[in-house]
Amino acid sequence: MAAITLDQVSFNYPGTTEPVLKNLCLHIEDGTTHALLGASGAGKTTLLNMLSGLLSPSSGALRFGDKNVSTIGARERNVALVFQFPVLYETKSVLDNLMFPLLNRGWVMKEARGRAIEVAEELELADVLHLRPAGLSLYQKQLAAIAKSLVRTDVDLVLLDEPLTAVEPAMKWRLRQRLASFQVEHGLTMIYVTHDQTEALTFASQVSLLSEGRILQTGTPEDIYNHPIDRFVGDFIGSPGMRFIPSARLHSDQPPLGLLFAEPPERDAGTLMGIRAEWLTPQRSADGIWELVSKRLVGTDGGQEKSLLGFRNGDFELLAEGLGNWCKGDRANLRVQRYALLPAEPQTAITS
Amino acid sequence: MLTIRECLLDPTRSESCDLHCEPGTVTVVLGPNQSGKTPLCRLIAGLSSSASGHVEVAGVRVKTSRGGSWAAGNEQVAMVFQAFVNYPHWTVAQNIASPYRAQGQADQSRVRELATLVKIDHLLERYPHELSGGQQQRLAIARALAKDPKVLLMDEPFVNLDFKLREALNEELRALVEDTGVALLFTTSDPSDALALADRLVIISQHEVLQQGKPLDLYQMPANIKAANLLSDPGLNTLSATRFVRPEHLRITSERSGYAAKVKAVESNGAHSYLHALVELPDGDKSWVAKLPGVVSIAMGNSTRLGFDERDVLELDR
Repeated sequence: MAAITLDQVSFNYPGTTEPVLKNLCLHIEDGTTHALLGASGAGKTTLLNMLSGLLSPSSGALRFGDKNVSTIGARERNVALVFQFPVLYETKSVLDNLMFPLLNRGWVMKEARGRAIEVAEELELADVLHLRPAGLSLYQKQLAAIAKSLVRTDVDLVLLDEPLTAVEPAMKWRLRQRLASFQVEHGLTMIYVTHDQTEALTFASQVSLLSEGRILQTGTPEDIYNHPIDRFVGDFIGSPGMRFIPSARLHSDQPPLGLLFAEPPERDAGTLMGIRAEWLTPQRSADGIWELVSKRLVGTDGGQEKSLLGFRNGDFELLAEGLGNWCKGDRANLRVQRYALLPAEPQTAITS
Repeated sequence: MLTIRECLLDPTRSESCDLHCEPGTVTVVLGPNQSGKTPLCRLIAGLSSSASGHVEVAGVRVKTSRGGSWAAGNEQVAMVFQAFVNYPHWTVAQNIASPYRAQGQADQSRVRELATLVKIDHLLERYPHELSGGQQQRLAIARALAKDPKVLLMDEPFVNLDFKLREALNEELRALVEDTGVALLFTTSDPSDALALADRLVIISQHEVLQQGKPLDLYQMPANIKAANLLSDPGLNTLSATRFVRPEHLRITSERSGYAAKVKAVESNGAHSYLHALVELPDGDKSWVAKLPGVVSIAMGNSTRLGFDERDVLELDR
């Protein structure tokens, strides 16, 4: 395995002037998982193709370890790919599917078989080795496809293109756990490309948020969630996203805002206060400043109904998690347990 | 008001059920892939379907179970599919007006009104390929509403959308249903969407209705293990053969209470951490997943204790 470095990487499709990837700088440590998260059109697929060797950077350098691989094609790059949908040979058994990449690279039959069985056992596929893909569940198929990608021992990087998207929610957990423990066990360098923030934040130790061809922020999931670099990131990460109130509004002479703080932010006109739903506790009060305008059931807690509540006060809207029976039109003040302070202006160039 | 009597999602089964959707409300059909969600929608829409049943819209029978053709009234049902279906060679405005073409009239102010409702009124002259995925799905919704249907069917409408768009459309759907008074039947495999959106929830699995009712009732009193698991992501944790606890109801507890748990992995998405652990129960070790608030950092292999509030325990028969 190798560390992966993007050094001021840009990319234009031929004949276009607007770059799809803009001056990307990123360092991924050897043996770690890194998620590239972005909405459609952010440049994920272009970056994926560049990492796998289908595209070369228009400028800048891509390094695997110390080696500049910018102009090395896909065939010569030691990258294992896992796709969104299971890619397996339908006419071959699972065992033959797993052995295929090895035999293709000149392994002798006996060793290829041994390695295939070893990987299959680790991923709990041993029972289905003799079956053809048609006899597998979707979960087993995707697991077999993952095993096929992980069977090679000479790869620098495992590149995952939303491998859990097609798998049912209940099975995602098992598949992700298998993948995660295999990664830890073998110290694999993994890059996980996805539009799904839950996938990105749960799977990777570091996350880069990609938007319009730029990396907006790189950090641990906790960091990105709690300390977004700007309004876009705060809104994008988390479901629901952050809601915002200008800090200056807290200190103005306008009517009271109905927010209760242990420690209010200091006076600073150039700052936004970002607040997440679980950082707010609504306190019911007949003369509360905030009016409940929406309610979405989340579940229960200690037998009490738990909902995501939307509160409005003039132009401001905040979301809060509330227990008990709330109805539209109810009034409350909101206790703020925590908040993030962000610059009022969007940030553009950020390094990791 | 939509009613389906003697509904069979799989005609080889014998036990049928009745389904009702009230005007201005959202009925969510929750089920895994291949559980019969699409056949149900197709039955109601009058398309060929493996499901059977008598479909009534506003008290008028529009389709009988034995095949047969649609009586008057099928224009009162509109459907939005998982894939965005729009006319590629027509503009947004023309697409929205398309249901009126047969009558030879298109009221431009009505077209604008519908476009405003789904927030694409600034895109009226664009073509579908010039729209984002979310805008295309909004257009499909506007076109479906152009018929002024009494019933709107949405078959996993957000599957192909980015999660931020899903969030926005989810929030807007409720307002749209309240504004138009349409009876919305919405299918999904996502438990959190189901809880958040539904006035009434129907849980199906393997072409069978497992349970229907108010979402909170189904969450607190599931009919069986299968229904409870479908409304849980990740699935239920087992206490004994008949007692279960949901992942979100587990807490890390002190020395004296709860059960000893050996941590296998922790995954965190910022808002929640998912702690996978092997838990020592009186009748053997069990694998559990706890959905805990915030970021929890316990290394793999370490021990902790997991507990819960007795009021959140589910007593279920197999």
